Amino acid sequence: MSRPAAQLPLGPVAWTVAAFLVAALPHLVAMPPVLGVVVFALCGWRLLVARQGWRLPSGWLRLLLTIAAIALLAVSYGGLWGRRAATGMLCLMLAAKMMELSRLRDLRMVASVSLFLIASQFLFDERFVFLAYLFGGVLLALGALLRIQELDVSRRSEPRGDVALLRHSAVLLVSALPLALALWVTFPRLAEPLWGLPDEVMDGKTGLSDSMSPGSIANLFADDSPAFRAEFADEPPPPSQRYWRGPVLWRFDGDTWERAFLPSRTEAPRVPPGRNDYRYTVQLEPHERRWLFALDYPVSMPADARLSLDFQMTRRNPVTTLTEYSVRSNPDFTDMARLPVTLRQLAVSLPEDRNPRTREMASELRARFEDDRALIDHVLDWLRTEPFYYSLETAPLGRHSADEFLFDLRTGYCEYYASAFAVMMRAADIPARIVTGYQGGFWQEGGQYLLVRNSDAHAWVEVWLEGSGWTRVDPTAAVSPARIRSGARSVAGGGESLEWLRALRNRYDRLQHLWNSWVLGFDADRQQRMMTFFGLPNLSRTGMAILMAGIFGLVVLALAWAWLRQPARSRDPVRRAWLRLVRRMRRRGLGPGLGETPLAWAERVAHRLADGARFLELTRTYCALRYGDRGNEAERQRFIRAARKFPVQRAVEPRRAASV
Amino acid sequence: MNKPSTARSGAPLAEDLARARATVNEIIVDKGEVIDLAFSALLAGGHLLIEDLPGVGKTTLAQALSLAVGGDWQRIQFTSDMLPADILGVSMFRREGEQFEFRPGPIFANVVLADEINRATPRTQSALLEAMAEGQVTVDGRTHELPRPFYVIATQNPLDLTGTYPLPDSQLDRFLLRTRIGYPSAAEERRLLTEPDRRNLLKDMEPSLDPGRVMELIGLAGELHVSEPVLDYIQALVAATRSHPAVKAGLSPRAALALIQTARAHALVMQQDFCLPDNVRTIFPALAGHRLQPVAESGMDGDAVAAEILETTPVP
Repeated sequence: MSRPAAQLPLGPVAWTVAAFLVAALPHLVAMPPVLGVVVFALCGWRLLVARQGWRLPSGWLRLLLTIAAIALLAVSYGGLWGRRAATGMLCLMLAAKMMELSRLRDLRMVASVSLFLIASQFLFDERFVFLAYLFGGVLLALGALLRIQELDVSRRSEPRGDVALLRHSAVLLVSALPLALALWVTFPRLAEPLWGLPDEVMDGKTGLSDSMSPGSIANLFADDSPAFRAEFADEPPPPSQRYWRGPVLWRFDGDTWERAFLPSRTEAPRVPPGRNDYRYTVQLEPHERRWLFALDYPVSMPADARLSLDFQMTRRNPVTTLTEYSVRSNPDFTDMARLPVTLRQLAVSLPEDRNPRTREMASELRARFEDDRALIDHVLDWLRTEPFYYSLETAPLGRHSADEFLFDLRTGYCEYYASAFAVMMRAADIPARIVTGYQGGFWQEGGQYLLVRNSDAHAWVEVWLEGSGWTRVDPTAAVSPARIRSGARSVAGGGESLEWLRALRNRYDRLQHLWNSWVLGFDADRQQRMMTFFGLPNLSRTGMAILMAGIFGLVVLALAWAWLRQPARSRDPVRRAWLRLVRRMRRRGLGPGLGETPLAWAERVAHRLADGARFLELTRTYCALRYGDRGNEAERQRFIRAARKFPVQRAVEPRRAASV
Repeated sequence: MNKPSTARSGAPLAEDLARARATVNEIIVDKGEVIDLAFSALLAGGHLLIEDLPGVGKTTLAQALSLAVGGDWQRIQFTSDMLPADILGVSMFRREGEQFEFRPGPIFANVVLADEINRATPRTQSALLEAMAEGQVTVDGRTHELPRPFYVIATQNPLDLTGTYPLPDSQLDRFLLRTRIGYPSAAEERRLLTEPDRRNLLKDMEPSLDPGRVMELIGLAGELHVSEPVLDYIQALVAATRSHPAVKAGLSPRAALALIQTARAHALVMQQDFCLPDNVRTIFPALAGHRLQPVAESGMDGDAVAAEILETTPVP
């Protein structure tokens, strides 16, 4: 029974298009703009068609347009087939479906797939806000499905109002929540995903990179999004000790600092536990790279991570989902009491033809100070006393970056200072390397955790000293102690007016933290622990799979049995309303006998009801509608309403009758 | 009376029917259900078998019914020496006309009370039953139409069986319905004993209907609306008789058809515009009880089976 296209009324079409657009919006934002334009154009055009009663395009045109859209997608993504391209494909196909939205079935399909589309947003971003968005989108999609259903089965003359429809879909959504919750708790989580999500560079968002040149961290300062959160078992370290170690950079070619590919066999020595150890758990936001962040120096770490010689903690797989790990760090450990010659050579090498002025100054200092420590103190003093400024707004550097910065520009941020300082040290024949990572963080009093944002990215220097090994020196701290105490943003000056906004963000982050801990962090391991807590045996993956299959099979059997047993659900709404009333009566112990006719039943129980006369009247109406001629639509609706509203209440029975 | 007597004039007809029913109820008090069944059998074009003891009012019922309906009525007391001709009538040679002339028997009436039908020989019984089935009588090769409506109320004494010829099961379903009258209630019996005989009322009774209008009512009953759910219900009941373990053979399609027709008639008697499951339910024991032959070892009779089926078949 196919209807001509243009006869699909505007209401259901508008609902479906709205549901689709809401579901697609988060994807569209991340897609190349041209694709978004295509999607919006198709949707808008379909609405116009429904409004004006135009004809839908012919099959050939549809095919051509669809192929063109797919080609556009392929060109936009450059043949890269990842999550983004796949969801983009889905969006485009649904938008193309708008062109052949001619039957109820099509509408229903688009609305249903929208439900999937909106959930697929969680492949990219598991943030708490998207839960609210998801609810909104699901509400809309359910509303669309209800609107379509209305068109399909009900012969009601007046469609329901939009608000009533939304209320109905909210009821559906809320009633599905217990099941969703139960499944969420009990559905077996696998320690590793069954299929790997295709790796893909995050959408324009960069975490800390594995190389550094002055200016490369700058884009991170603008990014206020959380990098990770840390919960401490005991007291958190003081702000000046919150150096979260990331990539360690050894090689310097004059412009860029890069990692050294130390032989893989040279693993880090085991760090013994100390007395002042920090024990903490880190929830790392996905950053698509392999490294994990820890305080100096990790004693114990997660099983799938390893430490390199320079105490970088890396994992086998990139961090693509929220990852939680526990670390214990000993701050009192001495890193490399003896420095091997090869490493020493690596740590003092500089390109010969660069930074002549710095090298000159370094050799002067070398002549003046025999002791490395005295030399370092002198340079730090010099940084402090000379007019150096900490600022995020600075100029790019040229060929002799250290020279230009130390003697001319003198305005910059951590990368500038760290790079120039390390060059100076190396020029003075003191082994030096640069450590990048995060420094500081915001201590959430309410949530008892440390929030580290991407804007807390930092770079500092480690120098090797006789007796104390690799020692952290932060030239930025010498110039701007406030940066280390309270973060880059406070120094760079975001404007006081935004203070309240920041407070709001911090509050919101607490919510996000709870979400991470309780929802996203509920992984295979925690589930297993919960099962064990409830006395369930510790099952292997196979055992779990068999158990689930068994439960699933039983549920299916039970449902099938119930379905076969129940009388076929009537298509007659009057009958359904009556049966609902019968169920309510039965709950009160006033149900009909198996072979009892409605009228006989009503006459039997009427006197036991508070409003027996009305019940009798209702039953007579029912009989007339069901067994007589079917009555007109208004009468049927009136009956359905009356049956729904009928108060099933027992009559107050006289005392004497009760004692009999 | 100048009432238009076309079949379409439903409303006045229904009023007349209600009046006829009320009249009979006035004479035989407290037996409303039996009276409704009797009217239903009449309007469904069938016949009624009353199984009961003498003296509970069978004759009065038949008489009141015939009076209310407005036709002529006959009573035939069956005896073992009765011959078919005593019922049907005989052809006699008339000298004056030089030909045979048919002398109609007592069966030629609108309402016939066949009292103690099981006292007659099977040959006589079958003469009656054949006439009931065909609505005509054939004597000496000539067919004589019975008057319309033709309604037989037969009675049978279920206790005193000596020297009787109980109707064979195959003949029982010539009767559309079989019912019992039963004793009156205590209060009713007291009134019966103390008040003047209600049978005297029969003398002053005005007919509310006439044979023509009864035929119209029969036509009306045949057109009454039976909805799908009620048809479902009828089919479910019939199917249940066929699968019931205590029954040798379930109801036939003809019985199912009779059930629909009688339920319609009952609905008309109850002044309804359409047929309710309640009509079917009321009719069902009277219709199925004597048609169901239970296996001997089940210890149930047809009525018990019918009651059980009614209790266990859901009403759609």
